[in-house]
Amino acid sequence: MGLQTNGLSLEIVGREVSGRPVAGKPRRPAGPYLLGLPALLLSSLLLIPIGVTVVAAFRTSSGFGFGNFAVMGDPGALRAVGNSLAWVLVAFALVVVGFFLALLSYRLPGLTSFLQPALVIPFAVSVLVSGATFRLIFDPTPERGTVTAVWTRLFGTSPVWLGPGLFWLVLVSAFGWTWLGYVVSLFRAGLEAIPDDVTRTIAAEGVTGWRRLFALEIPLLRPITGVVTLTLVIAAVRVFDLVLIVVPGSMQGSADVLGLNWWRANANGADSGRTAALGVVLFAIVAAVAVIGVRGLRRRRWAMPVSVVTPDPSLGRPKPSKVVRRFGWIVGFAVSLVWIFPAVVLVATALHSPREAGLHGWWSLSGLGFSSFSAAANIGLFRALLSTVLIAGAATAVLLVIAVPTAYLVAWGGLPQWLGRVVMAMFVVLAVTPVQMYAAPLQDAIGAAGLAGSRIALALVHAAAGLPFAVLLLRSAFASAPPALVSEALLGPSRQSAVLATVQRTYRPALIAVAVLEFALVWNDFIVGFLISGPGTTPLSLVLWGEARQFSASSGTVAAAAVVASVVPAVLMLTFWQKVVRGLTAGSRP
Amino acid sequence: MVAGCSSDVLGLRRSVRVAVSWSGQELHAFHDVLDGLGKLDYPVEVVPLGDDISTAFGARSGRRPDLVMLPQPGLVPRERSERNDLQAIPDELANPGRARLWEDLLVYDGKTYGVPFKTAHKSAVWYRPSVFRDVGVEPPRLWSDWLTLNKTLSDAGVRPLSLAAGDGWVLTDFLENVLLGIAPAVYAGLATATDPRPSRRPEFAAALRLLGSMWSAPGTLAGGVKRSLVQQFPDAIVEVFGHRRAAMVLASDFAEPVVRSFAADPDDIGVFTFPALAPGAAAPVVVGGDVMVLPKPTSDDAVDLVRRLSDPTAVDPWIRQGGFLVDGRVSGYSPELTRLAEQLTAPNGLLQFDLSDQLGPVGGINGLWRVLTDFLIRIGDRGSAVVPEAVDAAVNELRGVES
Repeated sequence: MGLQTNGLSLEIVGREVSGRPVAGKPRRPAGPYLLGLPALLLSSLLLIPIGVTVVAAFRTSSGFGFGNFAVMGDPGALRAVGNSLAWVLVAFALVVVGFFLALLSYRLPGLTSFLQPALVIPFAVSVLVSGATFRLIFDPTPERGTVTAVWTRLFGTSPVWLGPGLFWLVLVSAFGWTWLGYVVSLFRAGLEAIPDDVTRTIAAEGVTGWRRLFALEIPLLRPITGVVTLTLVIAAVRVFDLVLIVVPGSMQGSADVLGLNWWRANANGADSGRTAALGVVLFAIVAAVAVIGVRGLRRRRWAMPVSVVTPDPSLGRPKPSKVVRRFGWIVGFAVSLVWIFPAVVLVATALHSPREAGLHGWWSLSGLGFSSFSAAANIGLFRALLSTVLIAGAATAVLLVIAVPTAYLVAWGGLPQWLGRVVMAMFVVLAVTPVQMYAAPLQDAIGAAGLAGSRIALALVHAAAGLPFAVLLLRSAFASAPPALVSEALLGPSRQSAVLATVQRTYRPALIAVAVLEFALVWNDFIVGFLISGPGTTPLSLVLWGEARQFSASSGTVAAAAVVASVVPAVLMLTFWQKVVRGLTAGSRP
Repeated sequence: MVAGCSSDVLGLRRSVRVAVSWSGQELHAFHDVLDGLGKLDYPVEVVPLGDDISTAFGARSGRRPDLVMLPQPGLVPRERSERNDLQAIPDELANPGRARLWEDLLVYDGKTYGVPFKTAHKSAVWYRPSVFRDVGVEPPRLWSDWLTLNKTLSDAGVRPLSLAAGDGWVLTDFLENVLLGIAPAVYAGLATATDPRPSRRPEFAAALRLLGSMWSAPGTLAGGVKRSLVQQFPDAIVEVFGHRRAAMVLASDFAEPVVRSFAADPDDIGVFTFPALAPGAAAPVVVGGDVMVLPKPTSDDAVDLVRRLSDPTAVDPWIRQGGFLVDGRVSGYSPELTRLAEQLTAPNGLLQFDLSDQLGPVGGINGLWRVLTDFLIRIGDRGSAVVPEAVDAAVNELRGVES
């Protein structure tokens, strides 16, 4: 509702009530507790092996103690810890870069239409695919590698981009390419959610430039910054397959990260107590980051506006001038071109014959055709596709069936406060637990059950690993329900069904986000399949990796397999991206 | 959902899982071999494990394979004795008539623990005859000739050697050839006894010094050390035959399909064998191969598959594609591979199995592979003056791994 007289504009906006809508404690029937049972069973797939690992880490031949942690004195392990911490810094840097890019695209709206798809595609494809793509781009021969070719043309000679030290550039580029779209999209959504009246108030007070940034955007985006930082830091600490595919064998030692160090120790049959200790250290780093991140999330600075009437369009954000808009389009176009370029390299490489792709770069005009795709078909790609569809579909279905009632229980089931906190803490910890914490005991258990290498076991582990994040996300969405609707439901006789009806109407974005992200995550997964089922099981990414061992000689086949593997997640993400972002930010709106 | 799916959809059907280290073209060729076996009563699943093939035996390898194509025959005795992990091969399959070399490795107490599937000749150097003709040189017969040849080539503006230092086994193969050439008895001793370890042997350091004299010569390595470090063995071959930036590359017989598929000129392909290290000495031949072994517990299906694969005609599809040698057979190959096969069967040849496989972890990725990589970094392109110091550093580094 707006009033305008004599250049003075008055505005009336509603604010959501924060806190409990109804005073006092709700009734607590025992029924809803049953909703949590399936989740408890599924989570025990992870919880029990984690317990086993922790016990193994502290058990030495002379009783319990820190003896196994002497493994951290090993220079290899120390270097791995150092590298993992360096990755955390990379994650922070990426958050900063993404924030400013989001700010730019928010102030220059012309950018979005170009930027969005270009930024989403890298997020949709697997880490192996982006690693393979950047290895193609940075190939050390001037005939094959784009960067080497350009550099050689300009300066006569080129550094060996995959060589000692410089491989970090390739690793960080691939990591940034994957994650920047996610960072920008989430910050964009946060910026969009800042109500116009607040923006105008700040503007009316004459706060501009950097002061405005610190007075308005940064504090208001704190919850989203928490989510973004948390996701990225966890991704950075978990870096595993990226190093495997990008770094040439002779330098893998210097690129070692904790996760890989654990895997090598485990595969070489090192003492199980010491490998467990490595897993616990990795876990401790991730958990520390997570705890800090979640504390940041809790602080709700202010309430969201609830639109009482349709806002007056004349009061919307001021349109930037024509010059600024033109500038925005040019910048957006350029950024999009740069961002889509690796995907172009991948597809163009796949469209060359295996021989041509091994000899020359993607720009070569000879040897065009689909023979790399038929070569990829020969390595069992389609069998792997079927296998991946089954695993990803089953994992997503199991996850949704179990996560929705659990999230409902946690959000509105009337758990005592302390229990709610314990459950949430458990899910936060589980959400960030690295696979290395439970892989070894879980593998033993699956083997003992006679399910080793089976798709159903893999799908269940995936569902269990995805459950904590799904519950956290859905709970946030459920908890941010409009209080009017919920209090109505709470007071009514058919309490649960009413709440569930609200869930259906209001929380679809969160459900879609969970389903799409889980499906894409499982589809693109390497590490869970690799560590739980062992190398050689059929999911796509493992087939891709097997083929990439002799990288440039098989780059045509690798590229073709990567393109085929990326189609499904790319289409899925592009279709549902808006909903996914809305779902992801539902609980962390300013 | 569970009831609606057949056991195959769930991945529960019992198939024979074959762990292999091959990828790319070799993997395709092995699939062709399997297809050529005709209809089998059981499904066969090929598990490509690459360099991590030794994890196939680990207790935590997920689902253990039923049949392992072990690319390091030297691991057979260790797996059998230390871990008691291998099933003896039934007598009717423990086919005699193999080279004696295999018997030493595979037979224990009258029982055979492995059947050779593929033999690798690891002392082959592939080169472009046109370059040699242009510069007016012949393939070397002695190590010293080779050094002179390299000098002649680099003086003529041709980089002599393309080195795939990204694959650690290429470096160890190089060293093993030199060591076998200068001290066959020491080589055999290191392979069979656990004491003394390599770093305690003066001949080992001598071999490093010889190797250093070649690698350190400025202008020898195509692309320099850094490029060599990121090259896998197919890349090194492409450098020689595809982009024609180097004259030769040390690569086994199994490099043949890569050479042929990337060669710019299909007729400009030659091969010579590793030269003798001194006048009058025999030329070294380092042998590798893939051995079929059965991890415990084994199934009848797995034994049946071994029987079918050890039939002499079973591997014909792979031989037709090139890059495959069978123990004891000298016909049916390309001219280049026939030469290599003849050297393998020649009487009085100086044949030994790959040493690094038999050294255990000392010969592996964290041992000799890393030591030789560091050695290459210290000496590459820097001239012979830096070699003695680098040899000492390498020996010390290896000593650290051994302890």
